[in-house]
Formats: sequence, C-alpha cells, structure tokens
Amino acid sequence: MTNTRRAGLMLVAPATLFIAIGFLLPVFVLLSGAFRLESGWTLSNFTDFFADPLYREVFFRTFRLGLTVTAVAALLGYATALAINDANPRSKGRLVALLVLPLMISPVARTYAWLVILGRTGFLNVALTSVGLTDEPLRILFTEWAVFIGLLQLFFPLMVLPLISSLENMPRDVIPAARVLGASWLAIFWRIILPLTREGLVVGGTLTFVGSLTAYVTPAILGGSKVLMLETLLYQRVSVANDYASAGVIAVILIAMSVATNVMLKRLATARGGR
Amino acid sequence: MFNARLTVSAAALAMVAAPAAAQELTISVYGIAQDAFDEVLYTPFEEICDCELVVETGNNSERLAKLEANAANPVIDVIAFADSAALEAAEKDLLAPLDMAQLSNVDGIYDFAQDPLGNGMAVGYTFYGTSIVYRSEEVSIETWTDLFSEELAGRVALPNITTTQGPLTLYMIQRAIDAEKAEAGDFSDAIAMVAENRDRIVTFYERSSQIPQLLQQEEILASVVGRFAWPGISSIPLEVEWALPEGGQSGGLNVLAVVAGTEQTELAHQFIDYWLSEEIQTRIAEARVDSPVNTAVEVDEETAEALTYGPEMAESIHFLPPAVQMENRESWLDAWNTEIAR
Repeated sequence: MTNTRRAGLMLVAPATLFIAIGFLLPVFVLLSGAFRLESGWTLSNFTDFFADPLYREVFFRTFRLGLTVTAVAALLGYATALAINDANPRSKGRLVALLVLPLMISPVARTYAWLVILGRTGFLNVALTSVGLTDEPLRILFTEWAVFIGLLQLFFPLMVLPLISSLENMPRDVIPAARVLGASWLAIFWRIILPLTREGLVVGGTLTFVGSLTAYVTPAILGGSKVLMLETLLYQRVSVANDYASAGVIAVILIAMSVATNVMLKRLATARGGR
Repeated sequence: MFNARLTVSAAALAMVAAPAAAQELTISVYGIAQDAFDEVLYTPFEEICDCELVVETGNNSERLAKLEANAANPVIDVIAFADSAALEAAEKDLLAPLDMAQLSNVDGIYDFAQDPLGNGMAVGYTFYGTSIVYRSEEVSIETWTDLFSEELAGRVALPNITTTQGPLTLYMIQRAIDAEKAEAGDFSDAIAMVAENRDRIVTFYERSSQIPQLLQQEEILASVVGRFAWPGISSIPLEVEWALPEGGQSGGLNVLAVVAGTEQTELAHQFIDYWLSEEIQTRIAEARVDSPVNTAVEVDEETAEALTYGPEMAESIHFLPPAVQMENRESWLDAWNTEIAR
C-alpha cells in the first residue's frame, strides 16, 4: 500500500467510523427487528403487516398521495419553471429567491400556517363562502385534501428548481424552431421539452415522491390520526404499542419504496435518453 | 511512548481535578416544566441532600423502553410514570418495592395515591381530572354521550386511542352506556359509538395543546382533555367551560417508583418523600405545574381553578385501574384501528 493511499484511508477512517457507529449500526439493529422473531429470522412480520386491512390501507394511501403530489407538482412545476426561465435575468433571480424562500422556513411553521388557511374560519373558506361557491364552510382540515395541499406546498420548490436548471441547459432556439415548423404546444412539450429536461424531472420527482412518503410533520398536523400515513403509523407503533417489529417493517418498506423510486426513475430517464 | 505519557498525565489530571465523590441520583421524569421543577424541587433537594441530581426526560414509552434496555445495569434510580406504565414496569421486574417506613409523607396523601399498584411498588405524586371542555354559549353538555349530539356533529375532537386521554374517554362513554362492562375494561359499546359517529368527529387529536387553537378557530365546539390543559384552554377569548357531566369525570394518576437494582435506595426514598411533602407539593401547585396529592396543601382560588384540586374534585374522579389498562390496551388499540382508524 502506498503512503498516499494509507494517508487517504487514515483521513476517511474517523468519518467512516462515526457513520458506522452513529448511523449504520443503529439502523441495522432497528431494521433487523423487522426480520426477527424470538424463534429466529422470518418474513412473517411483513406478511402480518400486509394481511392487516388497516396497514394495507395506510400503505396504499401513502403511495397514492405520494404519486398524486408528485404528478401535480410536476405539472405545475413545468408551468412555473417555463415562466421563470422566460423571465428577464433580473426578475428570474427574484422569482427563484421567492421560490426558495419557503425552504428557509421550518416545515412545522409552514404546516401550521395551513391550519389557519384551511380552517372553518380560514382564508379559503371565507373566500369560498363570500363568492357564494358554498353556503357552509368546507371541511378541509384533517382530510386527505389537507395533507395533499400541505405536501404539495412543502415539496413544490424541490420539483421546480431542478426543472429550471434543466430548462436553462436546453438550447434556446429549439422551441422557436419547432413553432416555425408548425408543431403544436403539446407536441413541443411532449417531444422536445420533456425529453430534454428529463434529468431535472427525475431529480425533482424523486425528491418530491420520497419526501411525500417520508414526511411526518405535515400528515400528522394536517391529517391527524384520521388520515394515517406510513410515517405517522410508524410513530404510533413505537410510541404507543412499543411494537418495534412493526415499526421496523414500516421503515424497511419506506426505504425500499424510496430506493425503488430512485432506480425506476433513473432507468426511465436513461431509456428515454437512449432513443 | 507519547501515548503512554499522555494516558498517565490524563489519569493524574483526573485524580487531581475530581471533586470529592458527591452522591448522584438519576431521576427519569416527563419533559414538561423542567425549569419550574428545577427551581422548586431539584435545587432545594440538592441543597438538603448534598448530592447531585441527574435528570433524564421523555414520555412513558421512551423511558420504559430505556429502563428495559438497561435492566441488567440500571442507570436510573427514581422514575416518574403514569400508573399504567409503572405497572407494566413492575410486572417486568424493573421496579423495586418501596420501603414505606422511609416515606413519612405517604400518610398525608390521598388514599388512592398511597399504593396505587399494590405491593407498595409506587406512590402517586400528582393526579388530574379528565372531562369535556365546551363552548358554553354554543352547546350544553349533560352526559358523556352528548359528545355525539346533533349540535356537536362535525364540531367535536376526541383524543386518539394512542394518547393517555383516549382510553379514559372511552371509559367514560362506556360507563354512560354500561358501567359494568366499563369496569371490566370492555369498551366495545363505546368504540362502536365512536365508529358510528366517526365522520362527525373533526379529528382524533394527539396532543391536547392542539385544542385551544381548534376551539379558537371555531373548528370545534367541544373536546375531551386532561385538566392540565385547562389553563391554556380557559385563556382563549371565548366562553369555554369545564363540564361536570352526569357520571362524573375520569382522570389519571402519575406515580414515583424506585428502579430495581439501584444502589441509591436510601437517597431515592429521601427524594420521593421530599417530593410528597406539603412544602414541595405546595410549591409545585403554586407554580401550576402539577396538582397536589398531599391533602394538607392549600392554594388560592385562582391556582385551584388551574389544577385538579381538593377532596371534592378528587372524589368525583373515576380512575381507570392500571391493571385494566394493561390487560386491555392491545385489544382497545386493535378494535380502534379496525373500527375507527380505517
């Protein structure tokens, strides 16, 4: 072993040791509980989990909300990113700063603001009743709608920023060229913008989907226990039932879903890029 | 050579720098109001005992898990728990029986707090009532089943089963329907009633600190809370009352216990006895942190209003026995998840 290599290993050793002891070992201990019974190693904790109708419902709800939030964030994100990308440089800087601003505010504070906006006497209900769209205030808080709105607002900037970055790297004359050749806006988006910004979409999609799956504060505050998600269920299993096996199962599922999403989106991007 | 010299020097420095070994007592308590506890309980006790208190905080389940993990080599000497968590710890042999001869103040506390787990495993140090709070200019509350009245449809929040107040709420609803079943821990009727009205309940809250905001935003008109949440609720600029429904109110008891295997048995008892004394219970009550179990404590009217105070209040409380809670907790959670949480 050369001296340089040895010195390199010595330099990374403290950080590696710290991560191994402070992160990998506890995570392994927690996750291994999902595969263990007193009688030995097993997958029965997983079969029990998916056999329970409540847990199944929570799993599908989490998945469904994650997908919906990601899809809507992508749709609105493209519109926002295109508008920001077309703005003059000075306005663009300000708009990006405005977009980033919420990321500097605690998710707890942002989520509590939604309690005020979505409540019976909140801004939204006052607006709806004053224009006559509804006679009675709508029940939005503590429903899936509230969780959806909260998650969308939480992760929207993480979708838009990579899209802006991708749009900046796209040749500026491709869209005017397509227009001159008679392409519709839908064709331009589908055949030019989408393929050329796929990397941004993959990054933004992964951050938004994984973030929605693993968010705790927003579903807990806006959904409460009537809209259980995997994260809130995990907390319940640990804090109330002392059931670390179920908690481990949920943690494994969340990690698996996050990794699978990342791999799948990357492959999708590569496949499209390979054409 | 360098390492050896460094080690020897560090050891020598430690020997010189170490103060005379003061006794250390590690206590495990709830995280709330620690500043107040430090002022009225911890610091005065340290002055008396010439010892150092090490305070660890957390909720019941966190601290029970830690106690269990360190059972072979306990790191805690005295622990404060909800009575049901203490019983669970006692049944896992994590607690040591108290020596009542060392607790001179036990005779001065309410009977229900003197030996709540049996076999002298713990003593109660505070208690609280649990009842319905409601917007009195909007609705009236006569019984526990009024929580499901037409005027409260879509305007009531109940505690989730995962909170301490959750089972107490089911207990009182079940008592209103069939008291005999309630005492046996069979809450099937109450759970069915909540399930039937699930869509008319705004939320099943996790923290009582949510309730003042929900009332103030007119999201709800009524809820069920522990008395410890009352100061925050009564301070909102709306007319809110603490209901005394037919059938009374429920409540909870928090207890102190000595951890099995501790080497500080004597100091632990001294600390518990100090906590139960009239002087300390009065100071804690005046700080409006915990309601006193010591019957000699006297506080002014305003302080009493903020607490669960006095023999009349104590007598109106139907405690849910910790053994019933332990025995049925899992089945309540399963029934709740099957019928309500879906």
